[in-house]
Amino acid sequence: MSAVVSGGVRPRRALAAAVLLSLGSGLVLAGPSSTGATEPVARAGAGAPAYSETKTLQRVVTKPDGSLQEFPAYTVTVTADQTTDLRGRQRIRIAWKGAQPSGGRASNPFGESGLAQEYPVVIMQCRGVEEPGKGEEQLRPETCWTASFAQRSQITRSDGEAAWRHDLDADEADKGRVSGLDPLPGADVCPTADIAGYSTRLTPFVAASGKVFPACQADQMPPEAAVGAAFPAAELAAFTDLDGRGEVQFEVRSDVENESLGCNHETACSIVVIPIVGLSCDQPSSPPTASDNACRRTGRFVPGSGNVASEGVDQAVSPSLWWAASQWKNRFTIPITFGLPPDTCDILDARAPTGFYGTELLAQAALQWSPAYCLRKDRFKFQHNQMSDEAGFTLMENGGGAAALVSSEQTQVGLDPVGYAPTAVTGFAIGYVVDRPDNAGELATLRITPRLVAKLLTQSYLGSDLGRGHPGMEGNPLSIMQDPEFVRLNPGLSQINQEVGATLLSLSNQSDIIRQLTDWVMQDRAARDFVSGEADQWGMVVNPNYEGLALPASEIPLLDDFVPETGNTCRQENPAVYFNQIAAPVTTLRKISEALLDAHPNVQTRCELDADTGLYKVGRIGRQSYGARFMLGLVSLGDVERYGLKAAALQAAPGKFVEPTESSMAAAVSLMEPGEETLPFTLDQADVRTSSKAYPGTMVVYTAARMQNLDEADAAKVAQFIRVATSEGQRPGPGNGQLPAGYLPLRRTGVTAGLYAAAQDVATAIGTQTPPASTLPDPVDLTTDGGSDGTDVPTTVPDAPAVEEPPVAEEPTEAPAPVEEDTAPVAMPATTAISSRTAGLLLPLLFLGGLLGSLAVAGTRFLVRPPRQG
Amino acid sequence: MNRLLSVLARCATASALAIAGVASVPAAARAATYAQIEGTGSTWSEVIVQQWIADVDASGMKVVYTGGGSTKGRKDFAQDTNDFAISEIPFQGTDEQGNADTSNGRSFAYLPIVAGGTAFTYQLKVGNELVRNLRLSGETLTKIFTNQITNWNDPAITKDNNGRAFPNLPITPVVRSDGSGTTAQLTTWMDKEYPSIWRPYFGKSGLTSYYPKKSGSRTVSQAGSDQVMNFISSTYGNGTIGYVEYSYPVNKNYPVVKVLNKGGYYVEPTQYNVAVALTKARINTSNPNDPSTYLTQILDDVYRNPDPRAYPISSYSYMVIPTASDDPRMTTAKRQTLADFMYYSLCAGQTKAGPYGYSPLPLNLVQAGFDQIAKLGKADKDVDLTNRDVRSCNNPTFDGKNLSNNKLAQIAPQPAACDKAGAGPCGTSTGTGDPSTDEGDGGTTDEGDGSGDGGGGGGTDVDTGGEVTTDAPGSVDPVTGEVVGGDTGAVSDGAAVYADPSTVLVADRAGDTRAFAWLSGLLLVTLVVLPGLYVSALRRRGPAGARS
Repeated sequence: MSAVVSGGVRPRRALAAAVLLSLGSGLVLAGPSSTGATEPVARAGAGAPAYSETKTLQRVVTKPDGSLQEFPAYTVTVTADQTTDLRGRQRIRIAWKGAQPSGGRASNPFGESGLAQEYPVVIMQCRGVEEPGKGEEQLRPETCWTASFAQRSQITRSDGEAAWRHDLDADEADKGRVSGLDPLPGADVCPTADIAGYSTRLTPFVAASGKVFPACQADQMPPEAAVGAAFPAAELAAFTDLDGRGEVQFEVRSDVENESLGCNHETACSIVVIPIVGLSCDQPSSPPTASDNACRRTGRFVPGSGNVASEGVDQAVSPSLWWAASQWKNRFTIPITFGLPPDTCDILDARAPTGFYGTELLAQAALQWSPAYCLRKDRFKFQHNQMSDEAGFTLMENGGGAAALVSSEQTQVGLDPVGYAPTAVTGFAIGYVVDRPDNAGELATLRITPRLVAKLLTQSYLGSDLGRGHPGMEGNPLSIMQDPEFVRLNPGLSQINQEVGATLLSLSNQSDIIRQLTDWVMQDRAARDFVSGEADQWGMVVNPNYEGLALPASEIPLLDDFVPETGNTCRQENPAVYFNQIAAPVTTLRKISEALLDAHPNVQTRCELDADTGLYKVGRIGRQSYGARFMLGLVSLGDVERYGLKAAALQAAPGKFVEPTESSMAAAVSLMEPGEETLPFTLDQADVRTSSKAYPGTMVVYTAARMQNLDEADAAKVAQFIRVATSEGQRPGPGNGQLPAGYLPLRRTGVTAGLYAAAQDVATAIGTQTPPASTLPDPVDLTTDGGSDGTDVPTTVPDAPAVEEPPVAEEPTEAPAPVEEDTAPVAMPATTAISSRTAGLLLPLLFLGGLLGSLAVAGTRFLVRPPRQG
Repeated sequence: MNRLLSVLARCATASALAIAGVASVPAAARAATYAQIEGTGSTWSEVIVQQWIADVDASGMKVVYTGGGSTKGRKDFAQDTNDFAISEIPFQGTDEQGNADTSNGRSFAYLPIVAGGTAFTYQLKVGNELVRNLRLSGETLTKIFTNQITNWNDPAITKDNNGRAFPNLPITPVVRSDGSGTTAQLTTWMDKEYPSIWRPYFGKSGLTSYYPKKSGSRTVSQAGSDQVMNFISSTYGNGTIGYVEYSYPVNKNYPVVKVLNKGGYYVEPTQYNVAVALTKARINTSNPNDPSTYLTQILDDVYRNPDPRAYPISSYSYMVIPTASDDPRMTTAKRQTLADFMYYSLCAGQTKAGPYGYSPLPLNLVQAGFDQIAKLGKADKDVDLTNRDVRSCNNPTFDGKNLSNNKLAQIAPQPAACDKAGAGPCGTSTGTGDPSTDEGDGGTTDEGDGSGDGGGGGGTDVDTGGEVTTDAPGSVDPVTGEVVGGDTGAVSDGAAVYADPSTVLVADRAGDTRAFAWLSGLLLVTLVVLPGLYVSALRRRGPAGARS
């Protein structure tokens, strides 16, 4: 067997080396885009965008005399950061400048709810291209996706709502009372489409299959279309700031997410961006009709205003008529291509999956890695089961899982020595979504100090007036947005209070992430002083229930007990700790990412009468309105990159705020100290505090497995996993087996060299089940069995498991030659309880002595001395 | 020069191998075209469903699931806004408020997806220590949730705990505020087993998804299982008790109530005890053509299962799948995704049920599930269901010879003697996922059986069987709290306290050593000095007395 393996080893390594080489050069070429993915700063400034186009857009209205009235022209530039080799649900940053400022901002710009706005920028995904080549489709409104029919069709409109019938650029046929589909579907399909005296315009949807959906009502839309579905709409009517700029993260959909739209590596698609400048109108009748007037409207909302109540808007400048010829011609078409769909694991694969249990930090990497294992016969079916580091470690120790995925040394309960192999460098972030006031767009950089986190985690903000009754902290700010410390660091933000500003949405279960976060907090003197009860310079004090909280810890307890007294019947019916309702931690990081994406705080303070049941109920508050979003949450760096979340800059050295980037993670790695043999590295936050470059949230994910008594097959799998993950698994990219953004590639050289070397050593120790001698359990833990070696240490190295060697290794890492005298555990007698007979008897003896003494004294007095004379 | 040559050689072998490498990739990537499916519903089963979703991503399946409660899931299904729903209870026809609870004409089938126990998690402190081994009978629990037993020092609770009394502390029941399948499970059980207590409280008979919280009672309501857990585990939560699927306390390492079963034992909803209980579940298979009843569960015999291991409030969670060939949301690719997602979940996906706090489905139900999946193929002949059957199913409860046998139930360890009514209570802690039993290593658990090299597979279940917590009094040094005899059983952390008086002492001990040290020191001094003082006092009194 070994011959076969060694025969295959060398060429395969060479292959991987060649692959790496070519990838390396590819990386250099792809510099701007690939680093852009992990460096927000670079993303904004460096390199040319993947797409950029400038157009001048102008609305013109025909006067009664036939001459043209010209509105101001806008020279709009639209850019996009990525357009090729996209994956389903990937987010593309689309930005524009020079557009007409929007008005009447909707609380949610997506899908149907974005319709009630004026002068927005409509962005949607369409099948086809502008100038189709062979086998490509012509892009047209009918191939553009909307989640609801109301976004594409105008049904049974009165004349005052039929502005499109006077579109200057429209064909005569499109100005008719009913238009869009010829012939119009009958009443059996579209019962309300053709009603005398009313106008109707259909923009049918043509699916990739060629099927035409009339889009006259909800049931005449494709299967993927739904309002209020679990999967939200991607298309939106985005808002342009007063200075003419705007940007969004647009989520593209492949045919897996949207089969009817049907975009994939073979079907060319585009993103269409239409800055709405208003309909251009033809010559009006005399006197002008209602629809003539409707076509000429210029909007009811002032630029920069909001429309939270979803009031009516002027149709001619709303996003509803994006398909009208005079608007459609203003489109920017961003051609996009999808990458080859990755090969995927066969659902019928008979191999049982091998479960690795542990940290969610690895989730995004594990998603990309799994197919690289199942697709090969010489590998195994890798599965990452997400749970807390501690629970995963326990499962690994008791044999429930082949290996655990953890980020720090865990308390060992079992007797088998456990090796920790560095597997990925990533970390946590404080994700945020914060809008600047007056619809001026999203905040680009948020600075956070340890003390601000301490204030949030210790529930020291009041939340709202309800919290003012809390004893011992009456003078504290309501929320972080009103905290002078925060305002000074992040000037220019709205100080209008929201309850969610009193919390950082966090994990309810134990996690190494919480431990590192609180370790960073406690390294800061100001934060430490605050937790221990000292007021900050503005007089804010820690919530007395948290004063002196023992940190760092792997779990943030909910320690408050303040139930506000209120006249509110619902709250009286459901007495609850107010601050806990605001904090409402959740069980997974993914839920926090989703809450941030949706700007839907997990604050549970809604309290109302449920009409159906007649019961007073508490529940989650609603989503935040665009323009007034403010939310902070603890997220993984993998999720940050995957979902395009924004990550706060955390304070390293005083006054130095560091964003999570590859270089700041590398700076933190260079500060890490290796642990004792096979133990995790440690990042001392005291060192981070001396650095102006190291990102404090940098964490290493380790594959931890037993180095003894692990099933032979499992041991081989774990060793293989470590070797593959630390070699080909570290190639950055979106493909199978590659490393997604949000992870720092762990390389053989450079700052990660130590981690890499440790990983190979541990892989060998696990694979051969030969722990280094020093890691053998303290014999104290062993049962005595007569001094013979209690552990089963093999005296020869077993056959190396059949795994491929790491491609980048120049020489295969030799299994360390066993040094017998070292590996044999030093037999020591079991400990006994620390006790001694003498000591145990001392107290009773003294008692006895005392008793005897007093007896003697009494005896002397009564017997020896003559009795007292009365 | 040499280097150049070696590079060239490498490149040559590399390209040769590249071709070989391509050839060696299994032809598995055969295009089973998938399209994303979306579901809503139960938070009871959400923990494991989300893990399954992460698992099938590797196979190219995109599944989106948001909780929100079973009631929401069924409503969304009726309104055609999801591709599947997950619910603990079937469509009720008419709900307790008289509103329609039907599929609104959308054709459907029920498909059991995972089993589990509805656990009662609580926070109860003695002194400053968390009780981790509370035992309650069903009747006591029902009285607690109907506000008849309102204090932890109630004699009924003392009796359940074999005479161990708890402090005078009001009980705060925590219920769900949203339409919840967990609430439906609890109220079904109370309605069936304790109608004389439940029905007067509810004002009628039957179950409800919306817990009828009484105005003026201490009962509080929370939205979703996460928030119930938060409320109970917070500092303020002392005295609270609520109901959630067992996975929630297991993941938080929080105690659950051992519930008295008909076999006379107080048991925890471990995967074993749930599997045993559900061997008595009656699955309605009377009419496979009636989707409204087919495969629905009748749990009466589960509640009354006399097996000493059975956890009474055990049940299944269901997926509701659309079966019409003209379903407005379904396409071939979506049906294929739904079918393969379920194939994975019913088979390999069940192997991780135990570690996550659930219990795997026995194979007879898996087989019935396949019959339901077949309806997707019936609705659309292009859906590929070949080889997706029980034979290829990697399910930990599988017994090749007898499909209706639940192997997990057979290897389930017997409860510890101290868990018996009138005995104990055991000192072992709950909420760890480990069974409380007297059976030692190996015992009756077929080591390795079913686990194979599955790694995270069935091995999980069986291996933990060999790692059982041993009966506390015998094996734990009462002073140090350390295990004597080298058994690595789940020794509780020092912070926990159990209702066993001897261990309470132990737990108190660590913090008290200093005080005791001072005390003994003082005693020592007193012992030495007192006699002398006494003597001198006598002497002083002596002359005084003489003088008088």
